[in-house]
Amino acid sequence: MTDAPATPAKRYATASDYVNLMKPRIMMLVVFTAAAGLIAAASVTQTPINPLMGAIALLAVALGSGAAGAINMWFDSDIDAIMTRTSTRPIPSGAVPREEALAMGLIMSGVSVMLMWLASNWLAAALLAFSIFYYGVIYTMWLKRSTPQNIVIGGGAGAFPPVIGWAAVTGNTPLDAWILFAIIFFWTPPHFWALSLLAHGEYEKAGVPMLPVTHGAKHTRLQMLIYTILLVPLALAPVVTGLGGWIYAVTAGVLGAVFLSYAVRVFLSKAGDDDCTGAEKKLARSMFLFSILYLFVVFAALILEHAAGLYFAVKGF
Amino acid sequence: MTDSKQPYEGEFIPAAHLMPEAVAARKKRNLWLGLALLGFVVLVAITTMIRLANANLSEGAGFYYSNSGGSAREDERMPIDDQPALPPGMTQEQAAPPPGIEPEGAPE
Repeated sequence: MTDAPATPAKRYATASDYVNLMKPRIMMLVVFTAAAGLIAAASVTQTPINPLMGAIALLAVALGSGAAGAINMWFDSDIDAIMTRTSTRPIPSGAVPREEALAMGLIMSGVSVMLMWLASNWLAAALLAFSIFYYGVIYTMWLKRSTPQNIVIGGGAGAFPPVIGWAAVTGNTPLDAWILFAIIFFWTPPHFWALSLLAHGEYEKAGVPMLPVTHGAKHTRLQMLIYTILLVPLALAPVVTGLGGWIYAVTAGVLGAVFLSYAVRVFLSKAGDDDCTGAEKKLARSMFLFSILYLFVVFAALILEHAAGLYFAVKGF
Repeated sequence: MTDSKQPYEGEFIPAAHLMPEAVAARKKRNLWLGLALLGFVVLVAITTMIRLANANLSEGAGFYYSNSGGSAREDERMPIDDQPALPPGMTQEQAAPPPGIEPEGAPE
């Protein structure tokens, strides 16, 4: 059970409070991965896309991500008020009323799906609608508070953007699009658990069954290693299908090796344990930050190859 | 009902006075809301214009609304200048003359 949150002090909402309600940092990564899917699809299938329509489709993805973030903050405002990391968010800080956040989330959901349909096709719009539902309802309202596998299954919500971007161009979702989905899906657990190793006390206080809370730090470090071992070869799958060329192969290979070394070192450390050292905490934080860089650079390599004409096929595949 | 008084009837209701900061915050929020609405309208207009610019608007493309419940299928569509208009419900087979009878005025 969660403790009752303290009554927040009244303050007036600014525009930045409403922007923060949309989780802008997550939104940036979502838009970036959607752009990678969109650009790669246009290049691989030789399907021309009106640049303005492409930009509007990406804006729809951004709005959809913001809508899901607002719904998440509406539902989680009670536990956000308990955890130090999230206590300054717009609702627990008293800037934005809960019902306003919900209204904003619902209206933006409708607007984003409609814009996506207008700018592309029904499949991309349906996938966007489903991903908002996945994050706002399946993850936030159901999984997050009920199972330690919450972010594994819930990670699917964050993995949809490249598939949506691909569908916006071609109207279908071939294997390449789902490989990009799988990369983000398997990237999410080691990324998020690296953070929750540091903040498991807060999750425990709020009653959220994160893996380090329910199964301990040692088991979490093992799970992080397993998911990273699965992720690294999976990230090279685009080279096999021809989606990624030499630049992508080298980038994903080198960064994958570094990511794996982080996972091994965290596994061998006591990060998250009660008696862990400052250096071990720092290691877990470094892995969390590197994981963001990893996803960003791997997808940037894909964009570079397909948008800048720097695709050089890896022979033998 | 024994008390026929309307709610607040005869009571003094003080006007709501907002703090200047609250008024400023409300004005700013309204401005952003207005801009967001305008942006949405502009985006819908742009997508509509691009879609119309790329659309096939020729008469045979089935773009226009048909009163029969949608655009006509290719095999149901009549070349406009080749055939006379038929009464509603009559098919080409029904309108055709019986075998062996030439239509009036047919060339020899």
